Amino acid sequence: MNEAPAQGTAETVAVPLRPSLRERWARRPPSLGFLVGAGLLTTYIVVAISALFVFRNSLGQLPQTTAWVPPFNPIGPSWAHPFGVMPGFGTDLFRAIWQATPWDLGIVAGIVGIDVFLGFFLGAIAGLNEGGVFDAVITFVCDSLGAIPTFLLAIVVFAGLVTVAPSAVGLPLFVGVFGVILWPTMARTVRERARTIAHAPYVDAARASGASFPRILVRHVMPNSLGPVLAQVPLDVAPIFFVLSAFPWYYNCQLPGGPPTPPNSPPLHYLVPNLPFFSPLPSSSFPEWGYLLGFGTCDGFTSVGVFASWWMYFFPLLAIVGLGLALGLLCDGIERWRHFDR
Amino acid sequence: MIPVQLVFVLLILYLAIDVPAGLARSPPESLSAIDQGFFQLVANIFSGNWGTTSYSLGETGGAKPLLSWAQVFAYYIPPSIQLALFALPIAAALAYPVSLLAGWSRRPGLDAPSRFVTLTAALLPTFVVGTLVLNALFNPYLNYFQDIPAQGLLPADFWFFNRGGYPSWILYGFVTQPTGFPLIDAVVHEAWTIAAISFTKTLIQASVVAVAYVAIFFRHARSIARSVREEVYIVGARARGVSEHTLLWRHAARAVTPSFLLVFALTIPEYLGVQFAVEVAFTDQSGFGYLIFASLMAGDLSPIIPLVFLIAILVLTWALVVDLIAVRLDPRGVASR
Repeated sequence: MNEAPAQGTAETVAVPLRPSLRERWARRPPSLGFLVGAGLLTTYIVVAISALFVFRNSLGQLPQTTAWVPPFNPIGPSWAHPFGVMPGFGTDLFRAIWQATPWDLGIVAGIVGIDVFLGFFLGAIAGLNEGGVFDAVITFVCDSLGAIPTFLLAIVVFAGLVTVAPSAVGLPLFVGVFGVILWPTMARTVRERARTIAHAPYVDAARASGASFPRILVRHVMPNSLGPVLAQVPLDVAPIFFVLSAFPWYYNCQLPGGPPTPPNSPPLHYLVPNLPFFSPLPSSSFPEWGYLLGFGTCDGFTSVGVFASWWMYFFPLLAIVGLGLALGLLCDGIERWRHFDR
Repeated sequence: MIPVQLVFVLLILYLAIDVPAGLARSPPESLSAIDQGFFQLVANIFSGNWGTTSYSLGETGGAKPLLSWAQVFAYYIPPSIQLALFALPIAAALAYPVSLLAGWSRRPGLDAPSRFVTLTAALLPTFVVGTLVLNALFNPYLNYFQDIPAQGLLPADFWFFNRGGYPSWILYGFVTQPTGFPLIDAVVHEAWTIAAISFTKTLIQASVVAVAYVAIFFRHARSIARSVREEVYIVGARARGVSEHTLLWRHAARAVTPSFLLVFALTIPEYLGVQFAVEVAFTDQSGFGYLIFASLMAGDLSPIIPLVFLIAILVLTWALVVDLIAVRLDPRGVASR
């Protein structure tokens, strides 16, 4: 007896096919990790934007205070200098990291953006076109480029460009080169996922109903191959900062005999930051986390006491790891949100 | 297929290194050299003619012939192999159970922390970890061996000088004879102190390499273990009352092995990057990492092409071997390929 009115309401109330974002949010609240990651990343972006306004004219230059350079004792974290002072630069480390934030977010966003764009797109095409010409070419390039360690290829390509066009060398070129070099790893994992999706029943159904290759790619394969992309993005942050920090570190403190000094320069009794000849950074007083970390690892261990100058490498490291973790938590959160049943 | 891929790798390196160098020189003759250079390069590299260093053994400027890169590599390869032979078993012993357990477990208490820790470890630049470990271990180590010089854990030249010069089997401080593997040579010559130093140094380095590499490996391997959890035969076996322990360590562990091997094949370049950085961080002037960093920093790119060629051979061959092993271990994979 109750069936008739119930049916009536079901017919009158039009249930939308796709629930709104708010409804979906309410049905599946995001995990704690997602919220923490999103909060951390927002903090980074806010810090970066604030740095753009605060250091408007001197964003690319670390100021040097002569009273803080090494004939004087190193200054550790205190209320005046929350992160301590980096002696070689003669700069408050808090200010240096703050100033570096917009640059580093730009570098990471640019490289990861190119990486994701190329890797996701080409990997999905290769997976859907399994056995075809696209697949053969993309797989061949991926497998061949994947045989070379990323950091080595990036540095070699960059060093080659330095010899041929020194004026073009800079952060934009570095971002472009690195992004183009990182994509094979991404494309390979995406291809593996896309390959299995290309044989899924719903893709067969779409194909049977006459959907074109681009439509299947964009509507079915790419949205369902997002998982490997989300797993790879935080990992791709690591080689970027490895290259940015390892080479300044090696150049400043591992080079036998120390870094070369300009002729007729007075002898210095402390470590001065230097850049290797193929560095993408424009000057040796440029704020950049990797550079600060590389130099800090060098300077922090040459000072008196093994771990006495811990802040010199700890805070740049914290900034880098924090950014990677924020991306990791965010990506994991999105992946869980998409597959709440797993 | 591998030779074609190697030629492609050489083409990339040629475009990245030789062409810019040719363009930077005076244009007319160098441009014609660029035209023919690639085939010459391929012929040279494949025939083992890898060019010469800019220095000779012994006094500089003497009449001695310049060293060929092949000779130099022969000095540097064995210590790196020794390190890899220590690091890979440690990495496998860590990565296999950790990835399997974390992917298998439905409890968030195990999975979430392990992801957090491994992502953090993957983000820490390896040389920083190496430097930290080196400095943390240095004082105890110094006390144990009394007079190890301050550069690191490898006895430097003056350590031998202080003890009356080089041992007869140590050539130029870092090259050992007759096999080239420091540990084996030390044992052959019954130099037990050197053997102990070499063993401890390699073990410490290998642990750092392993921990850093497991973080990279884990991110890829966890999802594999996770997908095995949903397999029909696992669910079926569980329904028949097979214990979770047996399911995990017999059925799932066997099922993930081919995929784990594939992940390993894919991540060898990353593994090598980790090992190079650790070698450099330990101021170990005896491995491939030192050679690469030193020549890059000196702006000398001439060893890079043969070096990358060797690495590419290693990676591509290993990928092929793993493919063959994977097919043997799990013939079902053939059908889906």
